Amino acid sequence: MAALIAALITGFTTGGLSCMAVQGGLLASSLAQLIEKDLLGKQGGRNQWNIGLPIFLFLISKLAAYTILGGLLGGLGKLFQLNPLSQAILQFIIAFFIIGNALRMLNVHPLFRYFTFEPPAFITRLIRKKTRQAGSFTTPIMLGAMTVLIPCGVTQTMMAAAIATGDVLGGAALMFAFTLGASPVFFLLSYFATKLGALTEKYFTRIAAVVLIVFGLLAVNSGLNLLGSRYSFSRLAESVVSALEMRHQGQASATPSTDLVLNVVDRGYRPKRLHAPAGVPLTLTLVTNEVHSCSRAFLIPALDYGVILSATGEEKVRIPPQEPGTILPFTCSMGMYSGEIIFDLSPEG
Amino acid sequence: MKRVELRVTDMHCSSCALRLQELEDLLAGVIRVEASYYKSKMTVTFDESNVTVKDLIDGARKLGYTAVE
Repeated sequence: MAALIAALITGFTTGGLSCMAVQGGLLASSLAQLIEKDLLGKQGGRNQWNIGLPIFLFLISKLAAYTILGGLLGGLGKLFQLNPLSQAILQFIIAFFIIGNALRMLNVHPLFRYFTFEPPAFITRLIRKKTRQAGSFTTPIMLGAMTVLIPCGVTQTMMAAAIATGDVLGGAALMFAFTLGASPVFFLLSYFATKLGALTEKYFTRIAAVVLIVFGLLAVNSGLNLLGSRYSFSRLAESVVSALEMRHQGQASATPSTDLVLNVVDRGYRPKRLHAPAGVPLTLTLVTNEVHSCSRAFLIPALDYGVILSATGEEKVRIPPQEPGTILPFTCSMGMYSGEIIFDLSPEG
Repeated sequence: MKRVELRVTDMHCSSCALRLQELEDLLAGVIRVEASYYKSKMTVTFDESNVTVKDLIDGARKLGYTAVE
């Protein structure tokens, strides 16, 4: 759910703005002009509702096309989603792609232009041909569907995220949320037409690029979490917070125990850091209560352990004896939420 | 019939190439525009009795782009 809300907000802010010049600046404005011209010619006057309807159809068609595309990409991700390592590699590829796209948008070097997709000439000609065929409502519907052929940088990033969901419905829902979020910008653009793109492009492209860099770093963080690395940004931040807490309290914040309980919640794991004795087998009990986020897909990469937890219930994980000082990271299957078990001392020690 | 290759350095996405194809509608005598964001250039085939290279550069400017020979 959190990922869908993030996709919706991304669409509303950076997605809509980034795509403004790509799809909005061209298709929506051309569409609005054509529709307006056509309808004014037929009716001899401006009719806001009649102008709005084709634009609405354009957006609905676009929404449907991207939702289907998201489903296909999610299905594609499912085919390749084999284990945490392959997911981590995918996250790194996504991060590389996202950051490259952001650097392209910031015009850092012409080399970064290759991070975006340039449609073949026959596709651009086909789209242009359709934009000139005004006169019926099938035109905006076809144009809306054709926008999948010219995705903007942020849309391409979201498409990569749809692959990473590894799920047909998840990918479809992600692209639906993103496209829905971007729709108001397109609608407004179609009414206020061409000038807006040029005025805002300069500033919003930079904002979109910065947001993309943040997303890229988040993908790197996810990849590191999936590899079980102690040096992911979230784990480093958690270490700092934990150290500050211990310093403040003057002692360790948790007592080692052979029976560990980890509460799995929608926004991650509580506590994020568990303390356990070294040298003895122990049991980790995962407790869920009406949990519906990706935190339910629980992984301990170092043990090659993974489980999809039920929305409400308990799952016991047997953890073999570990050396003192071992840190065993755990994460969700997306690498978004993480935590760790620290093996401090033996029970006698 | 003449072909000219113009550098367009201020394209910011692949759809700018699509937009530059509008020169075909904008200028009588422009037969075909092939623009590439990757290569930062456009190749225009035109009828030199109807349109000049300067017209092409001016047309590109109207669309928001700087084209140079």
